[in-house]
Amino acid sequence: MGASIKIMERKGSSLLEKVFLFEIFKGMWVTLGHFWSNFCDNSRLYVRHYPEVKPEITPRWRGRHRLTTHEDGSVKCVACFMCQTNCPAHCIMIEAGERMDGKSEKVPVRFDIDLLECIYCGYCVEACPMDAIRMDTGIFSVTSYDRESVYMRIDELLATKGAFDEEEYKKGGA
Amino acid sequence: MSQLDILLVLLRVAFGAFVPLCFIAALVWLERRGAGFFQDRAGPNRCNIFGFRAAGLVQNLADAVKLIFKEDVIPGHSPHKFYFVLAPLIVFVCALVSFAVVPFADTLVIEGKRYLMQGIPMDLGILWFLAITGFAVYGIILAGWSSHNKYGILGGLRASAQVISYEIPMGLALVSLLAVYGTVNLNDMVHFQGRLLFGFIPMWGVVLQPLGAIIFIVAAFAETNRTPFDLAEGESEIVAGFHVEYSSMKFALFFMGEYVAMFVSSSLIITLFFGGYQIPWLATETLVANARLLAALLVFIVPLAAGIFCKWIRKNNKSHYDRPKDPRVFEANVYIGLIWMMVIILEAVLVAYWLYAAGGAADRILVVLLQIATFLVKTFMMCFVYVWVRWTLPRFRYDQLQKLGWKMLLPLALLNIFITSAVVVALS
Repeated sequence: MGASIKIMERKGSSLLEKVFLFEIFKGMWVTLGHFWSNFCDNSRLYVRHYPEVKPEITPRWRGRHRLTTHEDGSVKCVACFMCQTNCPAHCIMIEAGERMDGKSEKVPVRFDIDLLECIYCGYCVEACPMDAIRMDTGIFSVTSYDRESVYMRIDELLATKGAFDEEEYKKGGA
Repeated sequence: MSQLDILLVLLRVAFGAFVPLCFIAALVWLERRGAGFFQDRAGPNRCNIFGFRAAGLVQNLADAVKLIFKEDVIPGHSPHKFYFVLAPLIVFVCALVSFAVVPFADTLVIEGKRYLMQGIPMDLGILWFLAITGFAVYGIILAGWSSHNKYGILGGLRASAQVISYEIPMGLALVSLLAVYGTVNLNDMVHFQGRLLFGFIPMWGVVLQPLGAIIFIVAAFAETNRTPFDLAEGESEIVAGFHVEYSSMKFALFFMGEYVAMFVSSSLIITLFFGGYQIPWLATETLVANARLLAALLVFIVPLAAGIFCKWIRKNNKSHYDRPKDPRVFEANVYIGLIWMMVIILEAVLVAYWLYAAGGAADRILVVLLQIATFLVKTFMMCFVYVWVRWTLPRFRYDQLQKLGWKMLLPLALLNIFITSAVVVALS
């Protein structure tokens, strides 16, 4: 398939356009139309009243991280260090320990994510062989008055629940 | 001097000084909310005092508080600290003082004495304006130079090149205007514009001198450093241009100076080309002769206008999402109550005038007040045009600006002078 080339008409060379004035009035007429319609009825503004009205988050959105669990509530993560190795921002810190419940050999005793370092690229989710880390919490606003509270530890990561059901998450392409 | 003289002097000086200052708040508000509406967004509307936001006007207070409490930095490396402090003063004071000669109402005649309704009663008129606004650019150039900063210098250089190429077409556009009016006194010019052309068109400057009006308005935009000619500031190219090193109230002075200059040049455009304080088709003498009728008309028009305004508030001052006991509806109710209270007071004053004071000096005062209102409304509309143009047109490039000034406006202004003087000579 050959590339289709569209030749754009070059504007601005006619006398009327070179005089500027007529074109300026045309442009001003357009902007005045917007002003007038918004002035008469400000419900027509294209704005979301943000803190009160939240945006809709789709399952594909890469929000704050969480660690998933097996059905019995034990950690899925096997401390394979794939996410930590893959992280371009070096924001994941894992410390492995021995796993006693027989599901695998290792378990993370420490799993920290520094959200101030994180660039929300989603590589950790892609790298994980166990589907143990996900970014489907739908939390998009990570703000705080101190650094400590945006340094996520394993218990916080486990406690956060996903915002979407399994089927929709899978549809999102994960 | 009688007590009346002193009172009127005080009133006029107060008007000349405080109305431009009050307009700063109104214009900043107009600019920001206007920009919002032009771009289909809301503009600053969250700032409030106990939930009262006055359509976003409270934001001005917040801005002022912020600017006052910011650190006032004077660059330590600059060897010209005196000029650095002087520059914003020049810009602001020149803008403010140039309003002094603009007449905001017709000459008030009380007991046979004539009072010119302008800040400083003198006959210099337009020459004063040209002199003072020409001087205001020195503030900008000085600011750019004394900042000892490359962007500042570039901004100052641009301002000086711009002022050379725009003062000339502006002056020449005025020359043809002066040939038509035959005077430099602004009040006489407005009187001239009160007459009718062919018996039904108001003889406004824009009708007699359409080309001159366009040239003067373009040059006035450049004079006030507004978009599309704000390349002395040029925030996308040279950070903030001449005021890049300024902070706190020194920056605020530049900022306020810009809006005062915008108000003053709007008022001058109105005075020169759009009939000044004149209400179209109604000259001052006609108004004074029919003052009783006028008051009767006002008694009906004022509640009508207030009713329409209240309906607009009711429609637009509500939350656009579900909210229990919407506080904005309560806010709207308070505003509407205040408006009707003002209407009642105004009606009472008009009725009292009708019953007790009609005839004599009160007629003249009524007409003067009406003309002041007309003047302010017209000026506000011209300021809206400034805002409107700012949010429509992109900035001119430096060479395009020079080309427009020297190659288009200057020959057009000269042509306009030739045509005008030929017509004036032929008609006289």
